[in-house]
Amino acid sequence: MAEEPQKPSKTNNTTPVAAPVRHVGRKGFLPITTNLWDRFFIGGVLLVAIHLLWLRFIEFYLPLPIATVISLILMYVIMRWG
Amino acid sequence: MASRPLRKTLGGVVTYLVWIFMSVFTLLPIYWMFVVSARSRVELFGGPNLIQTTFFAENYLKPLSNPAYRGYLVNSLIIATSNAVLVMILAIMATYALSRYRLKGDANIFFWTITNRMAPPAVFLLPLFLLYTRVIKIGEWSLFDTHIGIILIYCVFNLPFAIWLLKGTIDGIPAELDEAALVDGANTLTVIVRIIVPLAAPTIAISGILSWIFAWNEYLFAATLTSVNARTITTGLAEFVTVTGTNWGEMAAMAVVAILPGLLFLSLVQRYIVTGLTFGAVKE
Amino acid sequence: MRATRVGWGLLAPTLIILGFVGVVPFLYVVYVGFFDWDIFAAKVGMVFAGVNNYRRLVFDSEYLAALGRTLQFMIWVVASELLLGFGLAQLLAKNFWGRSVFRTIHALPLVVAPIAVGATWRLFTIPGFGPLPYYLDKWFGIEYSISRYASHAFTTIVLMDIWHWTPFVTLTLVAGLTALPREPFEQALVDGANRWQVFRYLTLPLLTPVLVTTTFIRIMDALRVVDEVWMLTGGGPGTSTRFVGLHIWLVVFPKTAYGYGAAMSLLTLYFTIVLSWLLFIAITQSGKQTAS
Repeated sequence: MAEEPQKPSKTNNTTPVAAPVRHVGRKGFLPITTNLWDRFFIGGVLLVAIHLLWLRFIEFYLPLPIATVISLILMYVIMRWG
Repeated sequence: MASRPLRKTLGGVVTYLVWIFMSVFTLLPIYWMFVVSARSRVELFGGPNLIQTTFFAENYLKPLSNPAYRGYLVNSLIIATSNAVLVMILAIMATYALSRYRLKGDANIFFWTITNRMAPPAVFLLPLFLLYTRVIKIGEWSLFDTHIGIILIYCVFNLPFAIWLLKGTIDGIPAELDEAALVDGANTLTVIVRIIVPLAAPTIAISGILSWIFAWNEYLFAATLTSVNARTITTGLAEFVTVTGTNWGEMAAMAVVAILPGLLFLSLVQRYIVTGLTFGAVKE
Repeated sequence: MRATRVGWGLLAPTLIILGFVGVVPFLYVVYVGFFDWDIFAAKVGMVFAGVNNYRRLVFDSEYLAALGRTLQFMIWVVASELLLGFGLAQLLAKNFWGRSVFRTIHALPLVVAPIAVGATWRLFTIPGFGPLPYYLDKWFGIEYSISRYASHAFTTIVLMDIWHWTPFVTLTLVAGLTALPREPFEQALVDGANRWQVFRYLTLPLLTPVLVTTTFIRIMDALRVVDEVWMLTGGGPGTSTRFVGLHIWLVVFPKTAYGYGAAMSLLTLYFTIVLSWLLFIAITQSGKQTAS
C-alpha cells in the first residue's frame, strides 16, 4: 500500500482484513453471547420467519394476527432473557 | 522417506506444474475471445482452430464506427471517470473525518458504509428504478437515463470500498503532522490538501482506479436505469446477444474493448490493484 | 479538541449519498411491498394489499426454486473456491522464480467485467464453434451442450465462477499467510511438530479471521450473481440456471408487477441477511471454542 512515513512503533502495518467482531454481551438462554441489539435483531428475524411460515402452512386454519402476537411475545422473551 | 533435496525439487516441480496449469486455465478463455474477435464468420465455423494468423479488422471497425456504440463508449468513460473522481474526493473527506474526529458512533458509521457494498444489487433494482422514474420527478426531468443518476448509484458500491482502503493509510499518518499545521493557522481543507492527500496518494490513486474499473464493468444498474442517453458499453455488449442475435465476431471484439482498460490498469499497477482487490490485505 | 461540526461536515456528503441511494430505496421497497401496484392492471395506482404479496410469494414455486438453486450454486462455488484458493495460496506464499508473473495472470479475471466474463465463457463453450464442446467430443466422445442439458449449464456456471473468483480467495489468503507472525512457527519447529500439526494447530487458527472474511465476501457475491449467468445461459435451458437475482430481474421488469417485485426483492434481502448472519455466528463461535 502507501509508502507513508510511519512511526517505528507500528511494527506491523500489514493489516489483514478481519471480521469486525466486537462482542460485549452476556449469556442468556441463547447459545451465544449477545448484547441488546443482537437480541433485537434475532427477535426481528424470528418475527419475519414466523410470519412467513404461518402464511405458508398455518394461515389456512388460524388467522395471521395470532402469529404477530406470538412473535412479539417471543421477541420480548428473547430481549429480556436471551 | 525421500531425502531433503529431492523433496524440495519435487515440491518445486509440483508448484510449477500447478501454476502453469492454472495460467493456461485462466488465459485460454480470454485468448479464445481474442481469436474469435479476429475471425470472420466463415473462418469461425471452420472448426475451433486455436491458432490464428489472420486478423479480420471489420469486427472491430463496424461496431466502433456505429455512432450508437461510440456513444456507449463515451458514456462509459464519462460515468467511470466522474464516479472515480467523486468517490476519491468524498472518500478522502469521509475517511479523514472518521480517522481524526471523535464523532458519536463513528465505528457504527464505518461498519454501516461497508454493509452497503454487500447488498445484493438485484434487490435494489426495483426501488431505484421506481424512485428514478416515478418518485423523484421535476416536471419532465427525472434521474432515469441520466449520467448523474448512474454515477450516484455506483457511489454506493465504491465509496465504502474506498473508505475501507483509505482508513488504514490515513490512520497511519501521524496526527501530530496535521495538529502542527492547524496550530500554524491552517484550516482543515488546507491540511487535507497539503498533508493528507500527498501522503496517502498511492492509496487514493488505487481507490480511484478500482472505482473506475467497477463503474466501467457494472452492468445490471446500467441496463435497468438507462435507455438511450446514458447507456454504457457493458449494456451494449449484452445487446449483441439479446438484440442482434449471433454476430459472435463483433461481440467478441466489443468484449475485448470492454476488458482492455482493466487489463491495462492491471499491467501498469499490478501490485496496487491486487492490494485493492483484496480489501487492502495484500502488501509487499 | 477539534470541532466535531467540521467532522460531521466532512462526513455529510458521503452519508447523504449513501442514504439517498442506499437507505431510501430500502425503506421504499418495504413500503411498496405492502401494495398492489401493477401498471398494466386495471387499477393503475397503488392499492394497499397488506401481506397479500407475501402470501403469494411463499407459494411461488418458481421463486422458491430459484432460491434453492442459488443456495446450491453458492455451496458449490464457495466450497470449491476456498479449497482451491487455499491450496494455491500455500503454493504462492513461498518465493519462487516467476511468482509475480503467475500472480498477475491469476489476478486477471478479477478486473474483467462480469458481463465480459459471461461473453468469454459463452464463446468458449458455445455449441458449434466453441473449443470446449468440440474437443470434449473429439477426445472423449462426450456430448456437451450448455443450451441443451441443464446439468451442463449449471456445471459450466460453477466452473466460470471458479475461474472468475478463485483468484480473490487465493490473493486474500496469501496476504493472510504472509502477515502471520514468525515466532510460533519457529518455536513449533524447535519442538519437533510435524507439518500436519503445524497446519492444524498454528496456520489454521491464526488464519481464521482472514478465512472468515473471505468466505463471507464470497458468499455474499455468490448470492448476488447475475451478469455472468445472464450472458452465458440467460437462465436456461428452461429455468435451470435462473438464480434468484436473475429471477427478480426477469420477472419484475417485463411484467411490471411492482408491488410483488418489491416483496420478492425484500424477501431475498431477508434471506441473504439471515444466511450470512447465521454463517457469521457459526464460524466466529466455533473459532472461539477451538481457541479456548
